[in-house]
Amino acid sequence: MGVALALMDMNQSEVAVVDRATESAAQKKARFERDALQFTNQLYAAAMRYTKDPHDAQDLVQDTYAKAFVAFHQFEPGTNLKAWLYRILTTTFINTYRKDQRRPQISDGELEDWQIYDAASHTSDQGRSAEDVALDGIVDLDVKAALAAMPEDFRMAVYLADVEGFSYKEIAEIVGVPSGTVMSRLHRGRKLLRASLAEYAKDRGFNRGIDA
Amino acid sequence: MHNTNHLPCDQILQTLVLFIDHELPSEQEYQSYLTHFQECQDCNEEMMHESTAISFLKELLQMNCNEQAPQELHDRILQQTEVLAGQSQVQFFSSTTVTNFSFDGTTSIQVTQEFTQEIRHDLTEGQ
Repeated sequence: MGVALALMDMNQSEVAVVDRATESAAQKKARFERDALQFTNQLYAAAMRYTKDPHDAQDLVQDTYAKAFVAFHQFEPGTNLKAWLYRILTTTFINTYRKDQRRPQISDGELEDWQIYDAASHTSDQGRSAEDVALDGIVDLDVKAALAAMPEDFRMAVYLADVEGFSYKEIAEIVGVPSGTVMSRLHRGRKLLRASLAEYAKDRGFNRGIDA
Repeated sequence: MHNTNHLPCDQILQTLVLFIDHELPSEQEYQSYLTHFQECQDCNEEMMHESTAISFLKELLQMNCNEQAPQELHDRILQQTEVLAGQSQVQFFSSTTVTNFSFDGTTSIQVTQEFTQEIRHDLTEGQ
């Protein structure tokens, strides 16, 4: 009985229409704490991929929530809050944390003419590369190291699509680039990642069957 | 309703990732890819291969990228929210009144400007 009531309450609060014009400061704060703060762990994991440093990741997430709270009246209730928070996280990272860092950049021109799939013909079985090795031996550190070694734009695209499950359109809004660019970054990022994970597997002697 | 326009293999292969990521623009287009895969074994194999590889990559990434935020961070954010919520309730009013006289000094108008401002601390300081 108690559980059923609690569930009902939860459902009601989710459906409740929020009138942001008449909402009190206390109500806004309660709504923020209830709806936005549940993403702290996810944002932290993303911030770890962005900054590669636990302290920077904590600061980045904290900054993100400060900005999100101040701008919370601009968030349209019922739209995608998680994507909204990721956009703040990503923009904050791009504008603040990496401002002074030089990084290997892929010029946009290089990406524009790039084909989604390089081989417009069937790949023969012999043509399959080392990346098709079973990756069972890959461990935690390998995956993180392989991601960390990737160019930032690719890393973000792969993370947002394959870990967070955002659509191309959502990623385009989060990162601030056209959908087509997301698609090519994602495809190239996955290819790079598969190749480097296969390298790790090979180094660890897990690629039985490719070469002796 | 069967689709009569057959997509060529090279077009399918170039956009395979859109099919796998469920990013094709319409259900109709999705269906025509499915039809192609039923009829073309080579493309079907390529699709299965890519699809498996991407699923595996996703699984691997999701298993490994799930750090939990330290309790300290949860606490800091709650505290910060309290502070910010307190600050945004403070309203600051000010007004200035300027009196303008005409050249001959016989008429005057008063212009009053009012400012309402929410005071917020600079979020970057004091951390």
